[in-house]
Amino acid sequence: MLARQTQNKALQWLGRQLFNRDDPAAFFDPLLEQVNPMWVQQYTPALVKQIINETSDTKTLVLKPAAHWEGFEAGQHVNICVEIDGVRHDRTFSLSSAPALWKKQGLVTLTIKRLPGGLVTNWIHDRLEAGTTIGLKEAFGEFRLPATPRPILFIAGGSGITPILSMLETMAADDYRAPVTLLYFVRTSSDIIAREKLEALASRYPALTLTIIITHESDEPRYLRESDLQAVPGLKARDVYMCGPGGLMDLAGSQLQNLGVKEDSIHKTFFAAPATVLDGGAVGGTVQFAKSQVEVSSEGDANLLEMAEAAGLSPRYGCRMGICHQCSCRKTSGTVINRITGQSSGPGEENIQLCVSVPQGPVSVEA
Amino acid sequence: MIKMNEQQLAELEKDLNAIRDEVLADRGERDAQYIRWIVRLHRTLEVSGRVMMPFGFIPPVFVAATAALGLSKIIENMEIGHNVMHGQYDWMNDPSLHSQTYEWDTVCTSDSWRRTHNYEHHTYTNVIGKDRDYGYAVLRLSDDVKWHPGHLFQFVNYILLTVLFQWGVGVHELESERLRRREITWKSKLPFLKDFFRKGGRQAFKDYVFFPLITFPVAPIVLAGNIGANLIRNLWSSTVIFCGHFTQDAETFTEEECENESKGHWYLRQLTGSSNFTGGKWVHLLSGHLSYQIEHHVFPDLPAHRYPEISEKVQAVCRKHGIHYNTGSFARQYGTVLKRIMTYSLPDRMRQKLTAPQPAQVM
Repeated sequence: MLARQTQNKALQWLGRQLFNRDDPAAFFDPLLEQVNPMWVQQYTPALVKQIINETSDTKTLVLKPAAHWEGFEAGQHVNICVEIDGVRHDRTFSLSSAPALWKKQGLVTLTIKRLPGGLVTNWIHDRLEAGTTIGLKEAFGEFRLPATPRPILFIAGGSGITPILSMLETMAADDYRAPVTLLYFVRTSSDIIAREKLEALASRYPALTLTIIITHESDEPRYLRESDLQAVPGLKARDVYMCGPGGLMDLAGSQLQNLGVKEDSIHKTFFAAPATVLDGGAVGGTVQFAKSQVEVSSEGDANLLEMAEAAGLSPRYGCRMGICHQCSCRKTSGTVINRITGQSSGPGEENIQLCVSVPQGPVSVEA
Repeated sequence: MIKMNEQQLAELEKDLNAIRDEVLADRGERDAQYIRWIVRLHRTLEVSGRVMMPFGFIPPVFVAATAALGLSKIIENMEIGHNVMHGQYDWMNDPSLHSQTYEWDTVCTSDSWRRTHNYEHHTYTNVIGKDRDYGYAVLRLSDDVKWHPGHLFQFVNYILLTVLFQWGVGVHELESERLRRREITWKSKLPFLKDFFRKGGRQAFKDYVFFPLITFPVAPIVLAGNIGANLIRNLWSSTVIFCGHFTQDAETFTEEECENESKGHWYLRQLTGSSNFTGGKWVHLLSGHLSYQIEHHVFPDLPAHRYPEISEKVQAVCRKHGIHYNTGSFARQYGTVLKRIMTYSLPDRMRQKLTAPQPAQVM
């Protein structure tokens, strides 16, 4: 559901008058895409230039977005849209290339790991071919480098390295003058993503200290230890950027707290929907979908999107992890708990995201 | 309507659900390709109609342009708009084909249509007093409505309705008959009227002001062609829709019959209250597959191009349960619609005399 909306009020008006839609250019998409898929207006098409194997389960897509794409900052992510068996699917991935590559050559890269059972990542690995196009939305996300150089510690796990690759490339190119340490955790040595690139970076960019830690090649799993953090010079003065699986993030968070690192200097980004453990007894309820006149009850932590779909409704949705807001919808009454933050909403009228909202008692939504 | 007990109705429900489940399990790429092809066809026809229209001073071009634009409006309303708004393609997750956001190329706003058609008509199909689509509150089509002399002229009403069909559908939700009876107030209809004038104004502006003006020297030709295209769409869509529920054997129901009804009873009502007509592939396409009105009413949210494929199975279920499957040629079905409009315009006694079975001729 990557709808690109024109901001031009006159165009919007004309679109409504002539085609009953706000985006008049997209009216012609069905014809334009027959001539050249890169002319599509409804979303930003991106040509798949090349697909590179990084590891046995990770590939890098080299994409050439249409020229009107607005670019990004290192560390940001982007929603992509692919069509599988007639169904459009949106997913969010971090951009793994540096913004300079986009500015100079009009290219960006996404580094994507195959997730067991994941519909979209498996399709990308098995079916996507160079020469085809996929949909792209504008980049977003607050996982960005500080404006003025400060000492930095990166903690990455698995494919959580991708936004950090983009940051490191940018820092090396800009000659970012502050100590930078990367602690990179991978299960086995064959899981290291972009190993050569990282090693090349470390050799040409002296401020970078690269430490790769293999967790699952010894008898005992070798996870993050406080001593790893203590070994980072000037830890307390550093900005910490973390991206990786929930277990690593939680562990790092508590160890950093023990070592006296202030919470507001820690930046996190997730690459999978964090499932906050909700107390099963306190959630669930009857949800009324007003437009469709359907009522669904749930016990436990099913979210509103799943409940609607189980009842045969098809609300709009995108990432299904609370990022893209495609499933945003007006709640008219009742309380929901946000799965990501664990916080409960007020009882009043407000916009909520169906995919991360779990009902707590009776809830009514306009959908 | 044939009488069926709850156990038989449950059996009917099970049989029809099985057909539905089979389609759902197979729904995917093929359906997406079909609707995308239809959308391309619509865009091609509309663009070519609009581009050709200014050259309409050449008579054959005028005919081609008007036909192309008329066909584009028919396809957009019937096979795209109506079907998309039923949610037949929501599963594709395409913002251009989503039931809740689609806005179609006709006077009636999509919001009003979703309320009056998707909800009222499809829930209370042919229930007199509940389904306001039965006669559109301007035609007497059964003896559930008491005759009065005004009905003598209802054929004129029918002609007006079919010629101005998009405007009739547009004001349908105004519920003018209830306003006349003072059951509801004009004030309560203000939000509806605001939407109606905005959308109606938009549609009239586009076809009757904007496109004629930008082709100023030939404005009268473009205006005439656009009126013609709208007329073609009005006549065809109203005819298709009338053939769906007002044919001779399409049954009507009372509110009491439908109180607390089961899903099986709802299915039975959809099967007996709707009627099909036969024709070639293009007749079905241009009717938005409402030529398979029975299949559509039983499964309003299955992709409509599937109806011809499941028709045999629905007929088999009807045979099994002894339910009449109401179909016939387009000419025959439309003939019975016209006959119904004519005969119910007459007082009951005269109608009964006219339509009483003729005594068998003695050879």
